[in-house]
Amino acid sequence: MRLAMLGWEFPPFISGGLGVHCYELTRRLAERGHQIDFFMPVSGKNVTSPHPSIRLIEVSPTVLSPYLTFTKKGKLANYGEGLLKAVEVYNALAAKMVAEENAKNPYSLVHAHDWLTAPGAQAAARLSRLPHVQTFHSTEFDRTSTPWDAIVRIERQAASDADLLIAVSKRTQDQLVSHLGANTGKIRVVYNGVDAGRYVSNGKPAMAIQTDGKPIVLFLGRLTEQKGPVQFLHAAKKVLEKRPDTLFFIAGTGELMPLLINLSIELGLTEHVRFLGFLPDDDQRRIYSIANVYVMPSTSEPFGITALEAMASGTPIIISKTSGVGEVVKSALKVDFWDIQGMAGKILAVLQYSSLRNSMTGMAPEDLRKLTWEKCAQETEAVYSEAVQKHHK
Amino acid sequence: MRLAPFSVFAPDGADGGELFTRYFNHELNRQILQKVATKCYLPTNRLLLELLEKHPELKISFSTTGVFLEQARLYMPEVVDSFAALARTGRVEFLSETYYHSLSSLFTEQTEFEEQVKLHQAAIAPFCQKPSVFRNTEAMFSNDIAYWAECMGYKGIMAEGLDQMLGWRSPTYTYSVKNCSKIRALLRHYKLSDDIGYRFSQKSWNEWPLTAPKYARWLADTPGDCTNLFMDYETFGEHHWEDTGIFNFLRALPGEILKHPHLEFATPSEIAADVVPKGEVEAPSVISWADNERDTSAWLGNDMQRAAFSELTSLEKPIKELNDPDLLRTWRHLQNSDHLYYCCTKSLSDQDVHNYFSPYESPFESFINYMNVLQDLKAHVKKRQKK
Repeated sequence: MRLAMLGWEFPPFISGGLGVHCYELTRRLAERGHQIDFFMPVSGKNVTSPHPSIRLIEVSPTVLSPYLTFTKKGKLANYGEGLLKAVEVYNALAAKMVAEENAKNPYSLVHAHDWLTAPGAQAAARLSRLPHVQTFHSTEFDRTSTPWDAIVRIERQAASDADLLIAVSKRTQDQLVSHLGANTGKIRVVYNGVDAGRYVSNGKPAMAIQTDGKPIVLFLGRLTEQKGPVQFLHAAKKVLEKRPDTLFFIAGTGELMPLLINLSIELGLTEHVRFLGFLPDDDQRRIYSIANVYVMPSTSEPFGITALEAMASGTPIIISKTSGVGEVVKSALKVDFWDIQGMAGKILAVLQYSSLRNSMTGMAPEDLRKLTWEKCAQETEAVYSEAVQKHHK
Repeated sequence: MRLAPFSVFAPDGADGGELFTRYFNHELNRQILQKVATKCYLPTNRLLLELLEKHPELKISFSTTGVFLEQARLYMPEVVDSFAALARTGRVEFLSETYYHSLSSLFTEQTEFEEQVKLHQAAIAPFCQKPSVFRNTEAMFSNDIAYWAECMGYKGIMAEGLDQMLGWRSPTYTYSVKNCSKIRALLRHYKLSDDIGYRFSQKSWNEWPLTAPKYARWLADTPGDCTNLFMDYETFGEHHWEDTGIFNFLRALPGEILKHPHLEFATPSEIAADVVPKGEVEAPSVISWADNERDTSAWLGNDMQRAAFSELTSLEKPIKELNDPDLLRTWRHLQNSDHLYYCCTKSLSDQDVHNYFSPYESPFESFINYMNVLQDLKAHVKKRQKK
């Protein structure tokens, strides 16, 4: 198939799972013989195509990292003020470019990721009479407890207009139905994967951080309400009651950074907590492999690729029950994100009992074998075929 | 015995008796016992008593832990009375086993094992004379265990009729055991037992629905000297609910069996005494009736299980030295093999069975709770030793 895919980020310009997904998916689809034109905002970074069948087309001159930008202005804090406007501009230009390319050499369908690129895909699909597949990596209701109406409207529209919807978990499927009024019959669940080979623990991490053999508990993700870093710090406080030598690493950046730094001081944790900021890919892999346990306390996690990355690095994981990845992995401990004592208890148990760590990491490969990007690409391909058939009926 | 959710953040300072209160979820144990008693033990015992009165040829045997009788006496004494009524018919036999449903036969020393078996003998004494057939926890059996039972004076020992052990031979005969002289192995006929225990209500089974005449005919057509049927008592009313027809099946079965003149009922002790062995079985390592492996891997198959078991056994000496009956009892309740069973991480189909019975979300959660309790007990014992 010849595919027009609308994305927002592509390595090395990424802020999270969305970029990883687009990179891995397009690569696997290209390997399976598809031609992909990947439309994205101008990044200003040196993005290069990983495969000759993938063309990267940079559309508009906005550089925005929507889920990262932080201001102090209430509701807009997650996104930054100019975001909606930038999204509008990008989508209008992208739609036009897709239509132009389609006139030269027709596409089989348009595939968009998240609300950020949904309006462009809708417009392009309408203009060029193409099927529209829409993936939801998250909804506004996952990202914040105070959803922004303008974004909810875009998501609702996409859920209603697209020919088929891809949800990254059953949890997301349920969100689409209950919050966005999507029709269950046109949602297909396709789980993310992990390239486990990239994460094999390399044993000797070249890191400047001195740990003196102390146990390390890792948080890695955007520092937003959704990811639960506040709960992580409170759990850290409890863990230290029983194991005062533990270190807590917080990797990532985001709007809550100032609050978290203050909280760690208030809780008296400054000696035990390290804020590492946003880590490039190589450093992420190192930090996964030196951590003794990875904790993902998200309040609402549509999937949670980082959990798989930690597993692939041979690190036991503790994940919140409100996560999509929890639907498909058995070798994890699961907690309620609000249950601070339960979370601390499980962290302590993993640090204390080697037999538990061995059993968890020993079972991880079995989980990971079922969660590959090849499988994700195959299943996405099946959704494409279905959408094309459905569209031409 | 279900454990209570144990928090490492809870304040300590309890004595031996309080530990027993703290470690176990007594309220939940009461609820479970009362629920199962109402659905299974009481109605089934009532039905069996009727059947024993109706068919003077009928004989039945039970294998029940001391813990079960203890709990029943505590939470629903009429359950104990109904077993006593069955025992009074003189045609109901009770088998010997460990009081605490433990893996004590696998400890390095056999002291604890013997103590638990004696405790159990005392617990069933109101129902029967000294039992002469031994059935180890989960039918764990080996040459060594059989030899131990023989030395203890048992005439027979129950084991799984395992194909790997029997080879071409059939479980419908008795056998002597390697390295033993007199004891007889009575082998469970797992296929015919599981036809009732597992498959009775499975509509996808090609023999469904199973009727009493059909099952009696299968028994009649089975060659051999004895067919040992052994199943969970919860088969009647709990694994298969009343609406599956399980009670009607049971009600009709003795009469249907007796229509076949060459079939008769016998207790395990009669079989051990009367049926001449057809050969010798050999189990150099321990077999059981659990999981596909039919060995000890359901309880000791992974690192977590072995670590917990090792903590458990290492407490024997210090606890016995402290000479505190409450503490000893608490430790013994923690020996219930279910605590380890819930920590099993086998994949494939067995995991479903473990999950079905497990009250925990995962084997890891189960391990953490169990191990935290064991560590707490260990800390408590250390503190007491210092005094």
